[in-house]
Amino acid sequence: MACDRPTGPGGGDTTCQKDLTARGNTTGPTHKAVLAAESRSATEERTLLKLLPFAEIWVVDFEFGSELGENPEPVCLVAWELRSGRKVRLWRDEFGTAPPYPTGPSALFVAYYASAEIGCHLALDWPVPERVLDLFTEFRNRTNGVPTENGSGLLGALAYHGLDAIGAVEKDEMRALILRGGPWSDAERAAILDYCESDVAALARLLPVMLPQIDLPRALLRGRHMVAAARMERSGVPIDTETLSRLRHHWANIQDQLIADIDANFGVFDGRTFKADRFAAWLSRKNIPWPRLESGRLDLSDDTFREMARAYPEVAPLRELRAALSEMRLSDLAVGRDGRNRTMLSAFRARTGRNQPSNTKFIFGPSVWLRGLIKPPPGCGIAYIDWQQQEFGIAAALSGDPLMMEAYRSGDPYLAFAKQAGAAPADATKATHKAIRDQFKSTVLAVQYGMGAVALAQRIGQPPIRARELLRLHRETYPVFWRWSDAAVDHAMLAGGLHTVFGWRVRVPAVSNERSLRNFPMQANGAEMLRLACCLGTERGIEVCAPVHDAVLICAPPDRLDADVARMQEAMREASGIVLNGFELGTDAHVVRYPDRYMDDRGATMWDRVMKLIHEQQQKAAA
Amino acid sequence: MTDAIKTNPAPNPFDNLSALRLDQSYADTVGVKKLLTTVPVRKPNRQDFVRVHPDPTYRLTPAAIIEVKEDREVYLVTPDMAQALPGEFATVTLFTTINRQGTLLLWPVKLPSPEGRHNEWHRSAAEGAERAQKKWVRVTASMSLGAYEIFEANGDLPDPVWPDFSFQEILKIAFRERLVDRADHPLVQRLQGIV
Repeated sequence: MACDRPTGPGGGDTTCQKDLTARGNTTGPTHKAVLAAESRSATEERTLLKLLPFAEIWVVDFEFGSELGENPEPVCLVAWELRSGRKVRLWRDEFGTAPPYPTGPSALFVAYYASAEIGCHLALDWPVPERVLDLFTEFRNRTNGVPTENGSGLLGALAYHGLDAIGAVEKDEMRALILRGGPWSDAERAAILDYCESDVAALARLLPVMLPQIDLPRALLRGRHMVAAARMERSGVPIDTETLSRLRHHWANIQDQLIADIDANFGVFDGRTFKADRFAAWLSRKNIPWPRLESGRLDLSDDTFREMARAYPEVAPLRELRAALSEMRLSDLAVGRDGRNRTMLSAFRARTGRNQPSNTKFIFGPSVWLRGLIKPPPGCGIAYIDWQQQEFGIAAALSGDPLMMEAYRSGDPYLAFAKQAGAAPADATKATHKAIRDQFKSTVLAVQYGMGAVALAQRIGQPPIRARELLRLHRETYPVFWRWSDAAVDHAMLAGGLHTVFGWRVRVPAVSNERSLRNFPMQANGAEMLRLACCLGTERGIEVCAPVHDAVLICAPPDRLDADVARMQEAMREASGIVLNGFELGTDAHVVRYPDRYMDDRGATMWDRVMKLIHEQQQKAAA
Repeated sequence: MTDAIKTNPAPNPFDNLSALRLDQSYADTVGVKKLLTTVPVRKPNRQDFVRVHPDPTYRLTPAAIIEVKEDREVYLVTPDMAQALPGEFATVTLFTTINRQGTLLLWPVKLPSPEGRHNEWHRSAAEGAERAQKKWVRVTASMSLGAYEIFEANGDLPDPVWPDFSFQEILKIAFRERLVDRADHPLVQRLQGIV
């Protein structure tokens, strides 16, 4: 099992995806209960396997090593064919130029967290399997929304199903041995292969037990995405390593200057310490009504800073500074020797099925200004392509609300909403009715996030009565959407869960969160759309560097850049049409050509400020 | 089995992804019907835009009602009992009305007196109810005008979705415990000073 990754898909932890990680809860199903429900004889299990429409069923596991930001280096492979009983054990000097099993449509490739195994295929320049069944995605899908007693790793899945597993301690020792790197003695080599084979054996036991609950065609679609994930992980995001080095070198020294620079307008820092009383005084001077906790103290969470920075832009620099000082660990950013930011995407890790890469390792995780480090390699270009108002479009299409669909098709759903609600005339434009449009935009986003009137009022800097009126207008303007949304919550509570168009499910836990259930169809179908677009893009030869929530970053040489952007946009259009039953969503592309760098507008000021300070540091050092 | 698969591999599950789509119309998969348990009898709130059911079978006219102001309750009086309670009731039309939130109510609009007197409040309310059959309107009392002001919504708003209930059902729910249909009804006794 490819268990030697330095990080687990949970993001930021050092345990392997497939490890046993006790979560300490007791609300999941007990082993006995699951066992009772799923206990089958060996004959029944063989019968289940026979029903699979594949000539060969290969259960596969690699062991590999990889350093931070680098691609995997396969160490060994064990593969079992479950119909014939054929077994293959290959050490790294025996890999050859092709896999020891077929990869065409008549062979099923079974793995646990398959993007790791596919990553090894790509590292070895082997063809990738066409039919992938990933028992990790299926276990996540089966248990999504409710706690699992032993995590979502292979050992957790085995324990959940009441199957024997290799001991966690032994696994740690073996992983350390693999990560130590070669050369390995003959005995160590045999031990690593045996360890790898023990995971294959575990998978072979797990497959027939899980099969009755697996919706095969849609499971294969999820497996297909794990191939795309492996390709994107291999590509990685191009980084300006020279600037990153300078940033790492000077970061400690410029922090004081950065604080002094930004704090000049606030006066809320004492050295490197943020002082709440000074901030309260600044808020009072600026007449800004800041949210407070039940205790009466100012709510200083980053979420609140983010919200308030939207309503009161003068707060934004302070928010960026606080985030930079508290969260940013530049040494964690995973950049390989080839200058690519590369980390496990942790596909299907989030409740909505979205990716959940490590916030500190992934370039799109930390503060937005750091995205200025993204830069095309010499002679190339990159493009950030995102869907236009993806969640609004999904809500419109899936609910079938005619006015909402009309608003989406108008190209400016926020202004269209204002017009439909009678708050702006038919000939209003973004320029003539900016303030109204901003309020209606915030209302649309508030509904998407499940915000109440108080939070919306803060966001738009208006009294709650105005926010209540705006939320009421949304309900009145889009009654079909609201009926559908209410029905989704009813469905969840009555049927015990919700599912996406391709069967990604969430189960309703003992204590349910209505806002989260209401939002699930938009978020989770958005994730389906992105996964499908990533499949289509990567399969068509586009270098997709990373998926980013409702967007992708691609890279291409200059002679192909425009064509690849167009092809990726076509793939995203196609994916949206499939997920939304013919209702297609548009995309925007932000193209950057070398030597320019990518920049998120929200982080440009901070980036410039930091670069200026580094420049001054360098000049000082030179003098 | 496997030989058969080799010669006839399973259909490509990705050939037609649309065929893999699962339905998202939750209302159809798990039927939840909103139960009508309360129908207020009152004029619309001053801020509510409302529509009146255009079907004449969705109104009761004339209807005899007694409004007990201290209890904020409206009673419906059967024709037989109305004859026994002269001067105690008002004659109204009960319009089935709905606001933008989908809340159903019965809007009592007073009819002219037997002598044909119809003050401006009653006339303007009747006009509002009439207009509300085709447009979303808001009816607001104006003391300086001495009548209701009627506001029509400018936006191109969709027609209301009327709940699937008959007028008889609506009437029954609205006056479930407030139907004066017998001489020993507590309200009758109260009006007649019988303890």
